[in-house]
Amino acid sequence: MSVIRLADAEPIRLALPKGRILKELKPILEAADIRPEAAFEDGEARQLRFKANIPGLEIVRVRSFDVASFVAFGGADIGVAGRDVLMEFDDPEVYAPLDLGIGKCRLAVAEPEAMAPTDDPSRWSHVRVATKYPNVTKRHFAARGVQAECIKLNGAMELAPVLGLCSRIVDLVSTGSTLRANGLVEIEHIADISSLLIVNRTQLKTRPRLLKAWIDRFRSALDAQAA
Amino acid sequence: MTHPHPALLPTGLADVLPPFAALEAAAGERALAVFAAQGYERTMPPMLEFEESFLSGAGEPLARETFRMMDPASQRMLALRSDMTPQIARIAATRLANSPRPLRLCYLGAVMRVSGERAGAERQVRQAGAELIGSGRAEADAEIVLLAAKALAAIGVERVSVDLNVPRLAGEVLAGLDLNGASAALMAALDRKDFSETRRLAPKAAARTLEQLIDAGGPVDAAFAAAAAIDLPEAARERIARLAGIVALIQAEAPDLQLTIDFVEHRGFAYHTGVAFSLFAEGHTGELGRGGRYRAPAPDGHDPASEPAVGFTLFMEAAGRAARRPAPTARVYLPHGASVRDREAILEAGHVAVAGLEPVADTAAEAKRLGCAGAWRVDHIEFFQEG
Repeated sequence: MSVIRLADAEPIRLALPKGRILKELKPILEAADIRPEAAFEDGEARQLRFKANIPGLEIVRVRSFDVASFVAFGGADIGVAGRDVLMEFDDPEVYAPLDLGIGKCRLAVAEPEAMAPTDDPSRWSHVRVATKYPNVTKRHFAARGVQAECIKLNGAMELAPVLGLCSRIVDLVSTGSTLRANGLVEIEHIADISSLLIVNRTQLKTRPRLLKAWIDRFRSALDAQAA
Repeated sequence: MTHPHPALLPTGLADVLPPFAALEAAAGERALAVFAAQGYERTMPPMLEFEESFLSGAGEPLARETFRMMDPASQRMLALRSDMTPQIARIAATRLANSPRPLRLCYLGAVMRVSGERAGAERQVRQAGAELIGSGRAEADAEIVLLAAKALAAIGVERVSVDLNVPRLAGEVLAGLDLNGASAALMAALDRKDFSETRRLAPKAAARTLEQLIDAGGPVDAAFAAAAAIDLPEAARERIARLAGIVALIQAEAPDLQLTIDFVEHRGFAYHTGVAFSLFAEGHTGELGRGGRYRAPAPDGHDPASEPAVGFTLFMEAAGRAARRPAPTARVYLPHGASVRDREAILEAGHVAVAGLEPVADTAAEAKRLGCAGAWRVDHIEFFQEG
């Protein structure tokens, strides 16, 4: 494993997502020899900024949807974000140089099982969709000439068709069991999703050696894991 | 219908208040002084033009970003300028067709953008820029990059970093390969340095090369070394060699200027054909300016129909935010009834004189109320203690 010691003292801020992705990220952080202080592991702690074993490194823990915003506006220099989040925000100031291969799932359109057999998507001119991803949804449908009216929800998307808010949803699907449990079926695939290491564009341009060293640090960690 | 609050402005627009308005104006003047010192002459195109002329030639890629309105007088569509470079190019090709080349022109003015580059971004941008029209030489490219860096330094921006790009390079690598309509998505993936998406979208034959090109980006010397090891088409190789020539000229004059190369970036360079660049300052997110080589429409009857040009634009709001702020000039209260000579004494000392329009009982209190750091007392300035 090659760890670039030269860069260790230079200040850098890493934004990490809370929750599911963080669990999957742990082995990669270990392989990269990034060890956050103990309080980081405490999900109940009020602390939001953490030190680590590397002198220049500060870690901030934010909601997975917010990592991209922190990195885009320079609040953090690097971060870990899902491709779903990057597609939704599509910010020109964010680079996504490394696929971490974790948090794998897919973004898909689903509708009630009973509706699927008779539904002909080629006849749609307007659809109402419940989703956490209004931008992705509008783009996806607009690309084939369909106008999507989005109902922005932050969770429990599967309830929307069941309770009559709309017929269709756009959401992340991993095993599909939540869909099935709510009588929904996946009818269209939008994108394969995984988590990526993201970098602030200005940081990469103005401190290129440091940021490349950090990208390489994660890349080496992935290689070490694969080996 | 509820009326909007009188202070509410449309999205992306803001009032610039004291002291920032004066700082911004001063920054613009300093940039113009740098341009003028190297022979760039000030040009003032109008805010509105006929849509067809603004959006033809170099302006064509700006169509989506340009506000239009109908001119009740001529019944024709007008475009509110969204960039000043196409206006300068138009002037060079028409009214200044007979001026000797190379033609050096500069400008300072506001432009309007329909969307801004991201949600919530400024839609009115003050641009200060310079265009060098009629020379295709590397010396011209180098002069423009150096001029941009000098102007930023004059405004007070420190630790400037220039990112050099070859917007047409990725296109050359992909030329001749069957993209199956994936090109727009692929170009977007390249722009985001998105390795995995590039791998997924690129034709097999090009994927490895594109990845190497993304990876080669970074500080100039390492970037050229990395690029030399990549198997590239001849046309791409020539573009990189040309860039190397420009870099050598820049480094000879400004060895301390940080230069990086990004071989795959092409966003924002809609009309650029040769080497392009973006300006950054360490610690300030976002671009401070952008420039590069393009083809300007040539004067009528000229063959070929376009002439080589290179130029840049500084985004004055962003540059102003990145700049070190000069110490403000002290305001001194000049009580009612003081003489002209008293005012001159304040001005001679390098301060600002704020005149009282009526007698007041407590001069010091009145001066402080008006934000003055001191007041004129018979024959001298009394500065107040802080707090």
